[in-house]
Formats: sequence, structure tokens, C-alpha cells
Amino acid sequence: MAAEKTSPGLVEVEKTSPEVSGMGHRMKRKEDSRFLQGRGNYVDDVNLPHMVYGHMVRSPYAHARIKSINAEAAKKLPGVLAIITGEDLAKANLAWMPTLFFDKQMVLATGKVLFQAQEVAFVVAEDRYIAADAAELVEVEYEELPVLVDPYKATDPASPILREDREEKSNHIFHWEVGDKAATDKAFADAAVKSKVHAISQRCHPAPLETCGCVADYNKATERFTIYLTSQAPHAHRTLFALVAGLPEQNIRVVSPDIGGGFGNKVPIYPGYVCAVVASLTLGVPVKWIETRSENLQSTGFARDYHMTAELAADKDGKIKAMRVKTLADHGAFNAAAQPTKFPAGLFSVCTGSYDYPAAFCEVDGVYTNKAPGGIAYRCSFRITEAAYLIERAVDVLALDLKMDPAELRRKNFIQPEKFPYATPLGWTYDSGNYEGALNKALEMVGYKELRKEQEEKRKKGELMGIGISSFTEAVGAGPAHTFDIAGIKMFDSAEIRIHPTGKAICRMGTKSQGQGHETTYAQIVAQELGIPAKDVIVEEGDTDTAPYGLGTYASRSTPTSGAATAMAARKIRDKARKIAAFLLEASEEDLIWEPGKFFVRGAPGKAKTIQEIAFAAYTNIPPGLEAGLEAINYYDPPNLTFPFGTYISVVDIDKGTGEVKVRKFVAVDDCGNVINPMIVEGQIHGGLTEGLAIAFMQEIGYDENGNVSGGTFMDYLVPTAVETPHWDTGLTCTPSPHHPFGAKGVGESPNVGSPAAFVNSVVDALSHLGVKHIDMPITPWKVWNILKEKGLTG
Amino acid sequence: MAKKELIHVKINGKDREAPAEPRLLLVHFIREQLGLTGTHVGCDTSNCGACTVILNGRSVKSCTVFAVQADGGEIMTVEGLPSNGALHPLQEGFKEEHGLQCGFCTPGMLMSSYALLKKNPKPSEEEIRWGISGNLCRCTGYQNIVKAVQYASKKMAQGGK
Amino acid sequence: MAVTIEKTFRVGESADKVWAILSDPKKVALCVPGAQITEQVDNKTYKGAIKVKVGPSVTDFKGEVKVVRLDEHAHEIEILGKGQDVRGKGSASMKMTGKLRNVDGGTEVVSTSELNVVGILAQMGARVITEVSNIMFEQFVNNFKKQLQSPEDMSAEAAKPISGVGLAFSALKASFSRHDDKSNGSAESDPGKK
Repeated sequence: MAAEKTSPGLVEVEKTSPEVSGMGHRMKRKEDSRFLQGRGNYVDDVNLPHMVYGHMVRSPYAHARIKSINAEAAKKLPGVLAIITGEDLAKANLAWMPTLFFDKQMVLATGKVLFQAQEVAFVVAEDRYIAADAAELVEVEYEELPVLVDPYKATDPASPILREDREEKSNHIFHWEVGDKAATDKAFADAAVKSKVHAISQRCHPAPLETCGCVADYNKATERFTIYLTSQAPHAHRTLFALVAGLPEQNIRVVSPDIGGGFGNKVPIYPGYVCAVVASLTLGVPVKWIETRSENLQSTGFARDYHMTAELAADKDGKIKAMRVKTLADHGAFNAAAQPTKFPAGLFSVCTGSYDYPAAFCEVDGVYTNKAPGGIAYRCSFRITEAAYLIERAVDVLALDLKMDPAELRRKNFIQPEKFPYATPLGWTYDSGNYEGALNKALEMVGYKELRKEQEEKRKKGELMGIGISSFTEAVGAGPAHTFDIAGIKMFDSAEIRIHPTGKAICRMGTKSQGQGHETTYAQIVAQELGIPAKDVIVEEGDTDTAPYGLGTYASRSTPTSGAATAMAARKIRDKARKIAAFLLEASEEDLIWEPGKFFVRGAPGKAKTIQEIAFAAYTNIPPGLEAGLEAINYYDPPNLTFPFGTYISVVDIDKGTGEVKVRKFVAVDDCGNVINPMIVEGQIHGGLTEGLAIAFMQEIGYDENGNVSGGTFMDYLVPTAVETPHWDTGLTCTPSPHHPFGAKGVGESPNVGSPAAFVNSVVDALSHLGVKHIDMPITPWKVWNILKEKGLTG
Repeated sequence: MAKKELIHVKINGKDREAPAEPRLLLVHFIREQLGLTGTHVGCDTSNCGACTVILNGRSVKSCTVFAVQADGGEIMTVEGLPSNGALHPLQEGFKEEHGLQCGFCTPGMLMSSYALLKKNPKPSEEEIRWGISGNLCRCTGYQNIVKAVQYASKKMAQGGK
Repeated sequence: MAVTIEKTFRVGESADKVWAILSDPKKVALCVPGAQITEQVDNKTYKGAIKVKVGPSVTDFKGEVKVVRLDEHAHEIEILGKGQDVRGKGSASMKMTGKLRNVDGGTEVVSTSELNVVGILAQMGARVITEVSNIMFEQFVNNFKKQLQSPEDMSAEAAKPISGVGLAFSALKASFSRHDDKSNGSAESDPGKK
């Protein structure tokens, strides 16, 4: 699938030969071999001598005081080695730990519990069955307290105050605002048309197929602590363990082996990890803790739970003048948001979207409730999906109000290519974009005009069919040191490349793949920059003893940060290679021309040295004055975020008898700049769209008035199977990032960011002629059927 | 803890035996007693299929079978996909068509596909989707998995075993 | 999670005879499988326990039963029960009203219960709770009828475990048939043997 380059003049990438397999090649993945043969090494596959197992005792109540914990019966069970409670941890100052966002959370409950499934005690036993038995025998006496699950009631004086540990006795966490309120208010006052939508991005959960877990191995003899961890950010976790547990950082080794999916769920540090670490320190043997799926869904990092209101002010021709946004963020019992420190609402302020207008104002209030803590960035840059969903819904509602075609309304308002770099009214500088290019391609691929005709015909017959568009822009690759840090650590990333005498290479990066194919894609970057065949390049990530420091993989940041670092390190190597080549060829450096894989003398192409020959010379025939070896390391501080974008179009048919929505066709046109491996990009799009489908139609982590969680197992939290998942039609346009070393932007999350709005827009479009303007996700058949019933349409 | 029984199985062509208490799940028996960690656990309600193995010729979710139920039986796990030294056409198909990303669902997916192709060597796309509907994947969106199974079906029809 | 359950059943005895049992929580407890009154706090309040077994899963609730309203003339009783699982797995509270009506050949008992469950049971239990309640209710009705006929023979019955198979069949049956309270109340077969 060749991408049409729509912005010539930006970073051009020349394709290498298939043998070298640099950028743009559909190289088959190097990591597949072991996974296909069942030889992956996931955390639960780690088996160490004398290893024991941990199991968590959890609260059934959403809000209750702990009157007593009686572990006597549990302790007596043969095979039980230890039972740790909050009281025990408190003695080592570990009952609470800092979250990634200026708050703290209980490791094991002390005093009271604040959400159903909260960790109360940790049992360690010889095998996992005994540990589970023992957990059942731990008797906890609770005194139930009134429960708060409605975020809108959080600041009600009648609501219980959840966090007694905080100085300020309030359930309100933060208020954040950005933009020009006065200018925005004025634009609204003067506007001919005002439209409004209240859209909920419901609480959902990334649910990677592998749950979270660790093997904590304290070696008394060496005093070194190895933690095999499901971690998307091993170095950050190492530093946090050092700071929180007071362990010397040089003695901690975090190993993220193969990770079975992350999607943001494996960014926080969970109580189970800390308990396993404490248990191993105490018992001196490896302690394995692997959570069950129920525990994963009910207690680990949830996503979204943003209750948003957006207003757009426009003139009567549909030109948007301003946007006003007010959002209520439900963080659960602790603010465990995984976000850069300056952004309590993440990058939500990209909610102005792909559109060109001068004024906007956005405010977000965060509150506590008796729910699991969070929220994390589920396959999106922090809060970007919420933002993209909001603006794309708002634009569709405006189109309805104006009785304008939603594609035309978007086209009218897009930021034009020549306006980039574009400063949005809420403070972001988009690097490059060609929104109309993506829109046009998507409209063509889906056959928009014919579909609208078909819809008209169907409406006359009373049949329900809808077309929904989402033209999203997202911001990824966090991020520049001047603005971005997580828990104080700046968000650079790294790559270290070492070339061996025979011209092969090993690289290590500070990121950590959970399925994104880094072992292949980074090798392709090295192949592109140095002409060494990608198959000759080994890529390693995840071992903090060997990999250079990095902030990990999430928020689509790997290609923008470590990918860039890889290119920069490779270029440093190329600089040294030039010196060695000049020495070998007895020419001056300026007279050498580089072609992927070799230097040759200007005017004498026969006088050349391949990179392999140069590598060999680096160890055997070292130029005087130069150090031996051929390697480099780069820590890359990106000058800006990158802004991938696209247009997605969803076509749905609704069954009037059952309310079931069938996605008949879905077109996804993405622009992530220059592409490393188109095959991998397609795979990412397919996967992300499937997650978006689930969020739009099937998923919610809900809480009843007593704080009981629904959607706490896969019986109720639905993951689409191959049957529900439609066929995805994908396409690419290419608008390189002007500031990235090879013009790439990152793409893994775009499909999850852009698709929920497309799905919802298509369902609303199917029903808009009946007066429906908005339906909140998940759009279940039951919801649709009730709307149809209300309109007198049930078949 | 109840008394352990010695369970005998023929797994991936080899005779193996190991102790198991009555409530030990087959998936734990395979992973821990027999040391074959290719089969994975992805949920606790029998929904995800990551634990799929072939037991006495049929695909089963090994998290919902007790080890004692498999006593005397024949098991095939992903480690035993017949290969004659090379990759099985299914494994080849998954690689060629990019049918895996994180790899966690892959063993179960391969076993379900294997069982499907045994029953129905030339499945349509719809039959493939139904055939693997007991296996959840969060990464691929299934599209390339379908292509992988089609690749294998074609190759096996041409005689490539 | 709140569940409302309405049940009606008929017996051949007179309303006065039925009232004699229904108005006495100690006697009612004898009919509920796995339940016992452990202490009488005052003339309206009792302490009690109930053990609910579903297949291999056992929940022991300890709590309090209060007679909120007792109307001798209208033959209406309202009780409030609250209990906590002794191992800390959750809690349940129930408000139940019982009314008697004279009908041809005997008495009709109408009961309405509002059941609120918190904890693990509530998560797994939304589907299961209704079915468990149905099965428990059928056992209750049988015991109630026995007690009406020979009150001296009653002793606290050990909790009859509800078999997992029985539960599955009951759930299946319920999903195919309409919820007809009368047909539930007159079930002839022994509920423990489904």
C-alpha cells in the first residue's frame, strides 16, 4: 500500500534494497519465531529455584473501615509462608506509595478501604493454589461506610469525604484551565450559531491479554534485586522502586521480558509488585505474583471516565469561531493518572482538533470516587482519545444544527497545509498536516457520494443506515524536556548501537515493545541509516542493566523518541565510519560520498569501502588518533511532539428489531509521516480500530450505587471476537514531520484515538433524521432499541 | 491439600508423567508440572482461549479441564505443532501475514486454527472467524489472523504438511 | 445491586394458623434453609446467621433481623435483615414484607423482598442471585408447609447445598419460561433433586 506523499519538500527517505530492508519495507518480523513456537518469555513463564507465590486478599466493599484482620487460620494452612497486611507495611513506611501524579495510594489498606477489590492483605505460599486457599481464610471485619460513585456528587456537601489522609478534606482533586476565556466568551456572545454536546467517555479498561504480574527475586548473597515485571517503562520503574522502597538503584535490575500487550495498563506500579518485592526481601526467595483477569479489570489502571461538555460557536456558513469545554474527570479513589507532571488532564487540550479557529477555553475538574484508581492513557497519548472524541462529536452535532454535510463542514474548517507549524488556541504547535488529503482519500475509498444516495433511498423505506466521519489529529511522542516529565524524569529516550567486527550490530533502546514489533522496526531504522541489513541487527529492550535509560513505550512515543535516537546514534556512527573510510581509502572525508552501506570516493565509484569493511577496520586497523570500536549512544530530546492524523469513516446498518448495529464498512486513512514498516502499521491500525469498536459498542466498567463493579470479568467486559470485528480498509497519506530525523510520527494509537467518534457519529447519523443528536457509549443494542421504541420504530 | 495422583499423558508425542492434585487445572499441569509454557492463561472465566490445546483430538480450553481428566490422554500444545524441522504451514502463515503482535494469544490461536483446518480444510472467511471466535486477541483485530489461516489452508491443500 | 423478588404461594391452612408461624421470626428461620436465630435482643430484634452454599462456594452471613411492622389484623409483617459475610466477602440487606390473604381452600401468602448485595456475590451474582433466591424460596415453601402440618417436628435444618447443576437447570428453565409466580409456588418436585 504505497502512501501518496502529499507534502513534498519535507524529510525524504530513499528506499534501500530488499536485502538491506530499511524503511518502507514490509519486512517480516524477527520476533515472530519464538512466539510461534511457544517459546516467548512472559513474566509468568519465569521460573526460578525456590520460587513461591503471592495472592492478594481484596475488599468486597467500596467504602468501609477495617475493624480487624484475622489471619490466624490462614497462617496455619500448611505451605503458607507469610501474610502481609497494611499494618506490617506501615512499619517500613510502605503502606502508602506515591502515584505517578502527585498523590499517594495505599499499597495495602490501612484504616479503610476505598474501592471494591482494593488490596487488603498479601498471602505468600509454596504454590498458587495454597496461596488462594489461604487468602480465602483471611477474615476481615469491615464497617460499611456510605459510598460515592457519582462524580457529579463528589463535591456535594452530603457526600462522604473519601480521603482522610489528605489535608484538604474534599473529594475535589484539581481544577485546571487553559485558553482565553474572555476571547472565547466574546466569540460565543457574537456567534450566529452555537451548538453543544455532553459526551461521556466511559470508564473502560485496556485489558491486554496478559495480565500484570512480577517475579521479585532478592538474592541475599549478592544483595541484588531482580524484578521480572510486566512494565512498559522498566527504567522509570527501577528508579521509582529505588526511591519508594529505599533500595540502592545499582542493586535493582528490572527486566521486562516479553510483554503480552500493554496499551497503557502496564505503566503504573501496582500494589502487587510492591508486596512481592517486600515478600522477597523478607523471605529471601523469589516471589511470583500474577494477577487474575478479574483483579486486572477491577483494580488496575482504568481509562477514560471523562464527562465532557463541548460547545462550538460558528457563523451561519459553518466557520467555527471558538470552542468551550468543561470536563469532570473521575479518578477513582487515588489519582494514579499516568501523565506528565505539568498536565493534570494530560494532553486533553488538543480538543480543539484539526480545525482552524482563534479562540478556545477548556477547564477540567478532577474528583475522587469509590472506584479503582487511575486513569491511564489507554492506547492514546494522555487523554487524547477523550479530546478527539469530544471535538469530532461536537463537529457532527454542529453539522446537524447547521444542516450541513459533516464532511463539508470539516473541510471548511481544516487547518490548511501552508499554515503549519500551527499554533492552536490552547497552546499546541502542530508540526505538519494535510487534513483534506486524508479526508478526500477516505471519502473516495468509502464511496461517500454513493453512500449518501443509498442512505436517502433507505430512509424513504424506513431503513436505518448511517455514515460517520472522524478527522482526528493526535499529539504523540512525549516529549520535549522543557515541558514533559513523568514523576520528575524528563521524557527523552535513547538508543545505543554497537557494530561488531563482522559488520553485524546490536542495539538497545530505552523503550519497551509490548507487541509493536520493535525488534524489527528499529533494525529497519539502523538498516536505513547504515545500510547494514536489518536481519543482521539485533534489538534488545527491557533490561535496565543493559539498556540505556528511557521512559518506555506508551503514547505512541517510541518512533518519535527512541526511533529518532536510533537515527541520531546511527548518524554518529556514520560520522566515525567516514573517518575510518577516509583513512582506509586514503582520501579526505569531504571527498567521500555515502550510499546506504558504503562510502565511495567522489568520481571514482570503484574506490569504496562497505560498512562491513569499515567495521572490521574499527577493530583491526584503527586510524591513529581514533578510539577502537564502532558504536554510539544518543539520548534524544524531541523538539516537539509529533501530530499524526487521519480520517476514519464508519458505515453502519441498524436492525430495527434488535437494535443491533452492524459495521458494514470501515475506512481508515492514516498519516503518520514516513513509515518504517507498512505491514506493521496496518497491523497496528487493525488492532486499534478493534479496540475502538469495543469501546464504542461493547465495553464499560460500571459501578452500582453500592460500589459493586460490573464489567469485572470477561463475561461482562466484552472483548470483540473475530465474529464481531468487521473488515478494516486501510490507506495512508504521508505528511512527514519536519522536525523528526526521518520524518516519522508514530501511529500505534491513532486508531483507538480516532475511531470511537467515527462509530458513534455513524450511529447518530443513522438516527439523526428522527431527531437523535447524541448517544453515549457503549452503544449497545439495548440502548438503540430503546431509542427506536421511543420513536415508535421497533420492528 | 488433597492427595496427588500421578497423571500420565502423551504430550507432543512424548510420554510424560507428573503428580497432580484433583483440582489442578490442565493448563497449570502443562505449564508448571510439564514445563511447557507456550500455553497461556489470559482470563479466569473461560472466555479468552489463550489456554487452548488439543486433547484427544479436540481443541479444549485447558483452564476448564482438570489435569486428572486428561490422564491417559493425548495432548498437543503449540510446542508440538508438527513441523519436520521447519515451521508448520499455520506458523508460516502467521509470520507471512503478520498474524501476531504481542504473541500472547498466538499459541491458543494456532491450536484453534489447527483444529479448525482438521475439521474443515478449506474454510471460508466467515467459517474461519467463527472457528477462532473462542480466542480473543487484543492486538491484531483478527484480519491478518484470518489471512494467516487462509495461507495455511492453501499451503496444506498443495501438500505442504 | 438491588434485586426485587416477589413470591406468592398458597397453603391449605387458615390464615390464623399461617400467621402464627409467619409472625414469629424464630419459626420462620426454621424454614429458611441454612438459617438460624442465635439470640433474641428484644421483642423486635434478633441476631441470626445464614449459610448459603452454591455448589462448592459457601458464604456465612451473620447479622440482625428486625421486625419493623407487625399488623395482627391485616396479617402483614415487615422485617429488615442485614448481614455481613464473616470472612469479609460482602454484605447483604433485605427488606421483606409478607401479607396473608384468605382464599378459597386456604391462605395465600404474598411476599415482596428488596435485596441489596454488596461484594463478590454482587459481581458474579446478578444472574445467580435471582436463581439462588428462587431455589431457596422453593425450599422455604416446602419447609413452611411442613411446619404448618407438624410444628413440633421442626428443627433447624442444615443448609441444603444448592447443586451447581440444579442452579444451571433452574436458570435455563427460567430463561425459557415466563416468570409465573404461581407456577413457582406450586412446584411439586423436590427442589434439591432437579
